[in-house]
Amino acid sequence: MAIGLQTVTRMSHETQWLTHAVEAGKNILFLAGPWRLANLVPISNAIHALRIDAGRELMLDGSRLEELDSAACFAIYCYLVSLGYNEKTIGVRRFQDKHLRLLGLVHERMKSPPARGKAVRLGLVQRVGASAINICHLLKVHNAFIGALAMDTWRLLRKPSLFRGKETVSQFETICLDAIPIVALITVLIGVVFAYLLGLQAQKFGASIFVVDGVGLAICRELSPILVAIVVAGRSGASFTAQIGTMKMAHEIDAISTLGLSPIHVLVIPRLVAIQVALPLLVFVGDLMGLLGGMLAADWQLGITHVMFLERLQSVLPMSAPVAGILKAPVFAAFIAVIACHMGMNVQHDARSVGLNTTSTVVQGIVWVILLDAAFAVMFPWEI
Amino acid sequence: MNGETQATRGDTAQTVLEVDSVVTRFGSSVVHDGVSFSVQQGEVVGLIGSSGTGKSVLLREIIGLLRPTAGTVRLLGTNVWDCSEETLRALRRRFGMLFQDGALFSSLTVAENIAVPFRENTDLPAAMIPPLLGLKLALVGLPPETCGKMPSQLSGGMRKRAALDRALALEPDILFLDEPTSGLDPVSARAFDKLIRVLSESLGLTVFIVTHDVGTLLSIIGRVIVLSRGKVLADGPVREVAQLDDPWVRDYFSVRTQVT
Repeated sequence: MAIGLQTVTRMSHETQWLTHAVEAGKNILFLAGPWRLANLVPISNAIHALRIDAGRELMLDGSRLEELDSAACFAIYCYLVSLGYNEKTIGVRRFQDKHLRLLGLVHERMKSPPARGKAVRLGLVQRVGASAINICHLLKVHNAFIGALAMDTWRLLRKPSLFRGKETVSQFETICLDAIPIVALITVLIGVVFAYLLGLQAQKFGASIFVVDGVGLAICRELSPILVAIVVAGRSGASFTAQIGTMKMAHEIDAISTLGLSPIHVLVIPRLVAIQVALPLLVFVGDLMGLLGGMLAADWQLGITHVMFLERLQSVLPMSAPVAGILKAPVFAAFIAVIACHMGMNVQHDARSVGLNTTSTVVQGIVWVILLDAAFAVMFPWEI
Repeated sequence: MNGETQATRGDTAQTVLEVDSVVTRFGSSVVHDGVSFSVQQGEVVGLIGSSGTGKSVLLREIIGLLRPTAGTVRLLGTNVWDCSEETLRALRRRFGMLFQDGALFSSLTVAENIAVPFRENTDLPAAMIPPLLGLKLALVGLPPETCGKMPSQLSGGMRKRAALDRALALEPDILFLDEPTSGLDPVSARAFDKLIRVLSESLGLTVFIVTHDVGTLLSIIGRVIVLSRGKVLADGPVREVAQLDDPWVRDYFSVRTQVT
């Protein structure tokens, strides 16, 4: 028997989610309609519009309830608990069996704290510190990897049959032959641009022919090695890390070790050897194409014929310039390969880590190439 | 919102999933050659079959990831392969899918993973989400401190629980599980089975499980469908199917009896 039935819910469409009544000194809450996550906002509004005298016993009535899910169930329980009710003082009646089970489950598990779980955001100083520690750690593990690589190389030298010729040749094909078009395109364009800009200056002084000196030296000594190394770091370095990293994730590297093979012999050394052969050859291609670009630009802009260009080049370009450029290449190649292979081996067992390590390989590769080039310029200035 | 809910209630009393003469061909190889069955509201159904019989393919066809060569799939009253993009999107909010290895997003924490369906598919105010996430974690039995961890820091069993949580976030009507116990030790596998049973009973879920695990089959599944050579070989209560006179079915169930 309902005494003093009072409606305290806001009407949402035609549904009245919650009705409060007082029967025989007890608070009765009639739940009505589909109590589902999709309706949680109006349900929650209805709950918070309730004005209940928390001193009385409370009974939930499910006779008008159509559906119930855990989120809606949680909403009403949270509110009641905030009023000071607990499992002993909340009664339930006229619920369907499955809804009773749900009420029981939610009530049992609802004491858990809210879960935010935001990834921790570091402050500026913390970030600088964390990066410094990361870089130190990276250098340390790179060193350890170089050690392991040296030991395995020593084993290989004593037993050359372990060397994987086929794999090396196949790597050489992808690193060198497949890269020729992009290397040619980039260096020819740089040759054109460099000769053109230099020509603008040289023309002012009537010293057009010196463009040949400048182009020859710049392309062979600096531009071609650096650009080619950067292309290879981006192209092959990234692919080493991604390939090896994916294998690591699929436990293929563990499988290689378990079969009694060394992952370094199988994966790293073929790539290292292939890239060391490939990079100097690519630099040579870059030299030729860069000079070709310079020659074309000099002809168009300054009227230096191809014959004049080549004769001048022969007399002013010391052999040491292209040789120095090509000799730098294997060093760049070693750094790129070691970094790329190690970052691949270093991948953790989640998909994100492959992406992070690949990015890191490219960044480290390019930074090292430029650092090494600067070091060479300081250490061996006498080639000019 | 209400209209949709009313429609839901209209069809939940009956068939929630109806697969009708589905044919799948990849090039010249025929994977399914007329597969038909239906699932009623509240059932827990298992789909078994030897490797390569296209169980996972069928599951992908049911949830709208892969178009079958022929045949129809009706899920919650909607023809999955003959409806607008809009309808399909609405339908996707009404079922949950647990992928074999969890498929948690590796760049998000556990709590953020479970929050994705809430953020993307509901209009809940941001303040209401964290308490709900806390409840959800507790429902699948994950300790509260799990919420800030990355998926890669979790064990296989916990990853599955978190993935189940994400699948259940929007309170689906039907839950699809692809090999829920693979990669778990027997104890964790049984615990996971028990969790699925508790949740399916309490939340009133219809559960469709693709599995190899006889333990799962015997402990929580009421009805089993056997796929073999592109057809439904058997469809019925586990006990009846286990008595079937077919070499593969016999071997399948005898594995268990040999062990025990």
